[in-house]
Amino acid sequence: MTTKLIICDDSNMARKQMSRALPDNWQTEVSFAKNGEEAIELVKSGQFELMFLDLTMPVMDGYQTLEVIHKNDLPIMVIVVSGDIQPEARERVKKMGAIDFIKKPVDKEKVATVLRDYGLIGGEHA
Amino acid sequence: MPDPIELTEDERDCIQEITNVAMGQAADRLARLLNVYVVLPIPNVNVIEVNEFAMTLKSLEQADSVSAVCQGFVGSGVSGEALLIFNDASFSDISTLLDYPGNQTAHEELEMLMDVANVLNGACIQGIGGQLDIDFSQSHPVVLGQHCNISDLINQQQTRWRRTMAIEINYTIEGHQINCDLLLLFTEDSVRHLQRLISFLLEDD
Repeated sequence: MTTKLIICDDSNMARKQMSRALPDNWQTEVSFAKNGEEAIELVKSGQFELMFLDLTMPVMDGYQTLEVIHKNDLPIMVIVVSGDIQPEARERVKKMGAIDFIKKPVDKEKVATVLRDYGLIGGEHA
Repeated sequence: MPDPIELTEDERDCIQEITNVAMGQAADRLARLLNVYVVLPIPNVNVIEVNEFAMTLKSLEQADSVSAVCQGFVGSGVSGEALLIFNDASFSDISTLLDYPGNQTAHEELEMLMDVANVLNGACIQGIGGQLDIDFSQSHPVVLGQHCNISDLINQQQTRWRRTMAIEINYTIEGHQINCDLLLLFTEDSVRHLQRLISFLLEDD
């Protein structure tokens, strides 16, 4: 079964790093968004299960994106991926409905652990 | 004379992202020191002519009165200066957060400025170095001016470079009147070296 996911980050390099950090043998269809607005459009247009969301972005940042998802009850799980490692940032995004928080630079093992914790991948994935 | 430095869009994006991670680490340190939430901006990465540098500084602050601290850094062929410009209106809020009693003497304000500069500059520079595998040494912070205006600062900063890469980060603290700009300025040679260092990060797989 293929998992449809969105990687939302204003940085091209960060989008690439994130997609490289996904488990190797996990079947996914990855779409990219450069800001929250693009990500929300994607969520509304298709059947996505999961979003990796950056916080600091132009146009619509991560916090605003979480708010839109929450207010409109959009059916997507969000994992925040950010360089903002202040404990307060983590608490805020959790309160706003993000299921987890991964700090940048992204660590492949950490990504696999989080995905396994939420049953998004099985135990066999590296 | 070597060609003037220029950044491709990918290089600019890469340096911006590295800065984003580094300033997050710096903000975390400041947040813990002052027990506040630091609002993180999108860092601005630009190659500027030195004569544009004055304009960059002028556009930073509308404040009449600023204080500034400068700190050099060097490591593995990359060198530059971190310039922290502090809006003087921030001092009363900072002193509250740091539990300094009453009105501040110029000396006490200087002490606070040095504390904040040490935390922000240090963490940010080490954060960038950490990602690029550069072990930066930092010089002692030097006060460029206290309670002066931006033009006074500019007159002092007749830099030795033709072009420079400037990374600008504007930190604000939520719920407080605290506003400061951190400018990281790299020499031309350093930028060429940085470009080589980040080229491996930009390789496509």
